[in-house]
Amino acid sequence: MNLVQLSREHHAGLRIDPARAAATAATVHLVRIVRSEIRKAAAHYPLFLIKDAETGEFHLAALMGLAPHENLFWDGSTIDAAYVPLNVLRQPFYIGGEDALAGVICVDLESPALDPAGSCAIVAADGSDSRYILQVQAMLGDLARGQAPTQALVALAVSLKLVVEITLDITFDDGERCTPAGLYGIDQRMLARHHATLPDFETALDLSALLLSLEQVAGLVRRKNRRIADEAAWFDPGVRTPTIAA
Amino acid sequence: MAAMTTPVSSVCIVGGGSAGWLTAALIAARHGTPDGGGLKVTLVESRRIGIVGVGEGTWPTMRNTLRKVGVSETDFLRFCNVSFKQGAKFAGWRTESPDDFYYHPLVLPEGFPTLDLAPYWNAQVRDDAATPSFSDSVCFQETLCEHGLAPKLITSPEYGGVANYAYHLDAVRFADFMAEHCVTKLGVHHIIDEVVAVEQAEDGDIAVVVTRDHGAITADLFVDCSGFSSLLLGETLGVPFRDCSDVLFIDRALAVQVPYDDAGAPIVSHTVSTGQKHGWIWDIGLQNRRGVGYVYSSRHASGSSVEAELAAYVGPAFDRLSPREITIRSGHRATFWKRNCVAVGLAAGFLEPLEASALVLIELSADFIAASMPATRSAMEIVARRFNTMTLYRWERIIEFLKLHYMLSERDDTAFWRDNRDPATIPQALQDQLELWRHVPPGEQDFSSAHEMFPAASYQYVLYGMGFRTDPRFAAAALRDPDAARDAFERNAALKRRLAATLPTNRALLDTLARHRFQPV
Repeated sequence: MNLVQLSREHHAGLRIDPARAAATAATVHLVRIVRSEIRKAAAHYPLFLIKDAETGEFHLAALMGLAPHENLFWDGSTIDAAYVPLNVLRQPFYIGGEDALAGVICVDLESPALDPAGSCAIVAADGSDSRYILQVQAMLGDLARGQAPTQALVALAVSLKLVVEITLDITFDDGERCTPAGLYGIDQRMLARHHATLPDFETALDLSALLLSLEQVAGLVRRKNRRIADEAAWFDPGVRTPTIAA
Repeated sequence: MAAMTTPVSSVCIVGGGSAGWLTAALIAARHGTPDGGGLKVTLVESRRIGIVGVGEGTWPTMRNTLRKVGVSETDFLRFCNVSFKQGAKFAGWRTESPDDFYYHPLVLPEGFPTLDLAPYWNAQVRDDAATPSFSDSVCFQETLCEHGLAPKLITSPEYGGVANYAYHLDAVRFADFMAEHCVTKLGVHHIIDEVVAVEQAEDGDIAVVVTRDHGAITADLFVDCSGFSSLLLGETLGVPFRDCSDVLFIDRALAVQVPYDDAGAPIVSHTVSTGQKHGWIWDIGLQNRRGVGYVYSSRHASGSSVEAELAAYVGPAFDRLSPREITIRSGHRATFWKRNCVAVGLAAGFLEPLEASALVLIELSADFIAASMPATRSAMEIVARRFNTMTLYRWERIIEFLKLHYMLSERDDTAFWRDNRDPATIPQALQDQLELWRHVPPGEQDFSSAHEMFPAASYQYVLYGMGFRTDPRFAAAALRDPDAARDAFERNAALKRRLAATLPTNRALLDTLARHRFQPV
């Protein structure tokens, strides 16, 4: 990764291929989200609290695969879900600097999404910011502004002892077992006990969405089993052809 | 004079070191309320007397104790300069050879107690002298210690670890930390004053402790945490001291605080105990300094050679340090709870810090007092009897376990080590155990009390570390599942590789903790 601050002076001719930008998520199994995304993301992915390996602090993430480097939503060309987290969509742009809210936009010059033939330009024909870069700016702004409310929600959940480690013990159709560790979620009994003391309805909704999103684990397992079946068919084409299965 | 049906509604703790404050915390956390309701807990301490403050090693039990009283582990680690402790390394105990050492780790042998690897290891070492040591063969923790690794990650929860662990702490800071917690969170009433007199009622109960500025303090139960002076139990109630220097010869300590060479110096994640001519040197790494001390037998050594040995151990830095000499009496009170007074900590007794038994005895005693807090003065008699039986048993087991470290030594360089092997100095119960262990490894069958201090595994670590061997021919029944044993040895080897690759160094994790916190889950 080679992050540099985005500037008109140096990057006016920069073009991005959005398909390749999305492809950077193909090998990612956890994508960080912010609080404002919870209810949309919860309809598609199981959401967990994950500890940062460097700081031990919790953040929110959508689980897209059941093993490191596995994204079961990646279908070869796109993320197969009606909601794609901002942290995927914003690629290859980042918020730089110490203060996220100060809003320095950086670009990863080593990203495969940078492509002279890409369909998205940074600067429009009339010299103004392109619609594309304005969207990116808006997403990065949402992410930056989302940090404090996300931390506040997590801190509240931890202080009320709503957060518990979630143990998944999954056996796939081929008999392989999978027990991903380090996933934390909202405990329903504790949420029931504390719902009357939550500060507002929005908080209740967000915490409930986090809890309900755990049902999406079944969808992940289904995707994994389909992938296993497709791979088996690939090695044994007489049994089943993957194109028909897809 | 208290009627036997008088309810116990107030406790006065005399003395404010680790013993006083841990006792206050455990009692108040269970019986008090933050607004001062419930049982009234008062702690009176003198600023003039100060605390001995060399008890710096804990057992893993301290994690549960602190959690129970509502302390955050991160706050405790930061304030008390704490580092993680994963057991003890005993160097120079078996022989004087510079490469002589063994570990008493805090993680049980792989598979223990369902599968006992001891007979398999004894059979292996009989057939192949190059077999790795017992502790290294059956437990991954020695590898973590030798590499200076922490027992957990920043993503581990408070009080939870990847490997079992205890703490090294600064005892002076610890007393301050617990005092703050007791007063602000647990409603303990704190009086700083000199105790000038202890007055008894007609029936012999302690009626009041009289302070210089705060007058007389009454209470239904008094806890004597006054240190070596044993002001209430020993001086006032006249409970005699049982000297055990005929078994354990240590009676002096020469202690220094050694600064690190630089702020990034590694922090050793275990206690190092190195055998010397007339005793041994403890070496405990805190975040900001090491605590080093030579405990020795003054009957065997003169003071000057002792200082020279300590200087040689510490190195050139020793010239700038001021060693503190502490006179200690190995032994304990004949009873620990008499009438309405119970002693905890040094007021109850003292043993050399070889297996960090001081703080754990405080925890266990205070926890029992809190859990069994008698409702009335007459109930106190029953609780006291139980406490005395249990506590005496614990002291005896600790004394035996400490003696075990000495009696198996092959060192022949001084009378100190030779005298330690003299059967006349070895308790009969311990001699009996050794007789049995020649043919059957230490196991649950040897430890049947609910108040055991050390598990059978601890005896295995010390026995086999000191070169003792159990004859595997008599353990045929225990050798019937060689595949399970091989699996366990291999699991241990795999754990060593995996954990050595994932755990941070002790220093790195403690540095991270200066900026970040463990989560409660």
